[in-house]
Amino acid sequence: MHLILFLIFGAVCVAGAVNLLLQHHPIDSALSLVVVMGALAAEYLLLGAEFVAAVQVIVYAGAIMVLFVFVIMLLNAGEEARSGGSRIAWVIGVPGMLLGGILMSWVLLKHSGTGQVEVGSLPGSPQDIGWLLFHDFLLPFEVTSILVLIAIMGAVVLASHAQSAEKKEG
Amino acid sequence: MVPLSYYLILSGILFACGVTGFLIKRNIITIFMSIELMLNGVNLSFVAFAAQWHALSGQIFVFFVMVVAAAEAAVGLAIIIAVYRTRETLNVDQVNLLKL
Amino acid sequence: MCAQCLTLFALNSSLECFPNSVANYIDLAPMPDNYFVRYLPLLIHFLVAVGFASVVVTLSWLIGYRRPSRAKMSPYECGMTPIGDTQSRFSVKFYLVGMLFILFDVEAVFLYPWAVILRKLKMFGFWEMFVYIAIFLVGFFYIWKKGALDWAAPSAKRGEV
Repeated sequence: MHLILFLIFGAVCVAGAVNLLLQHHPIDSALSLVVVMGALAAEYLLLGAEFVAAVQVIVYAGAIMVLFVFVIMLLNAGEEARSGGSRIAWVIGVPGMLLGGILMSWVLLKHSGTGQVEVGSLPGSPQDIGWLLFHDFLLPFEVTSILVLIAIMGAVVLASHAQSAEKKEG
Repeated sequence: MVPLSYYLILSGILFACGVTGFLIKRNIITIFMSIELMLNGVNLSFVAFAAQWHALSGQIFVFFVMVVAAAEAAVGLAIIIAVYRTRETLNVDQVNLLKL
Repeated sequence: MCAQCLTLFALNSSLECFPNSVANYIDLAPMPDNYFVRYLPLLIHFLVAVGFASVVVTLSWLIGYRRPSRAKMSPYECGMTPIGDTQSRFSVKFYLVGMLFILFDVEAVFLYPWAVILRKLKMFGFWEMFVYIAIFLVGFFYIWKKGALDWAAPSAKRGEV
């Protein structure tokens, strides 16, 4: 059951990621990225990280992707101009990437010595997460607030420049 | 029971897709989305390793990555808007000057 | 504690309302503590949402009358024929609101695990969250003073402070 669900959601993930690469319009890419994030939340649930899964949906799929879609609409981004990559990229890059991927998978599967993961083996309930976050990781937690403060200021400054440019235009 | 390596391979595939998108895409917003994809791939391996070694701090790390991703998205998209206002284009091939 | 009670409750109630075969199948699944049963309500919720949406759309597609005419297919049934791109640019104000939403969303997400264990953390927890929110409030007052929040501000003031 665990394996089946893992394979289903993993397939959805990979399909979304590949679709992100294939689509020409940024809005299609953004929607396929939402699919990837939703499927990843399900993978987190399989690993037992229930709170991380919820935050993945709330923050990533719910907030960050909304902002992406906002910006795509704001800038009225259209079809992307294609520059049909160099030949050397196709001849060397793609087989090289496949080879590297197969090699890495082979090493991971046969020689990594990593064990099996049971379903929900590490339940990350909000209580446990909170205790660790507000007790052991207190300083990083407080530092994130400063990081977000800087992000707020930076984004407001950058956006208000854009806004004054908008005013000048019309 | 799923081997940990399956999760790692999935996260590797996601990361590779992100890198590929970063390299082949020409739209600056799509490039930014590829970066988010890479972050997600790394997050998956964090959670998988946390489950493997029963260390909850792996999941805490995912939180911090998400906070950084949110801050990064806010500032990065503001930069994209500023670039668009000055260059009138989203194609990175045409944004190749340090100065206007 | 309470979450476990809720989980048990969900487990029991979800098992009761199902035929025996389903319950047996779930019991047979080789996993500790019936992990999947715990998320059965989530699955049901998801299925109901998807099912309802698809049923409504399909029904309206099947039952509804469709007699398209040229006038109906045009974007506006009266007035001039529209010219130019249908997508118009949005103002940066929308982006600002979206961005502030993200950042305060992150804050709210951190509040949740804090609220769950507040009693265990005692006053220490109160003060650490106080510092955290105080730093956020600095950003909040900054954007307030900057005029990013007033939607219909006079154009001269905005963006030049």
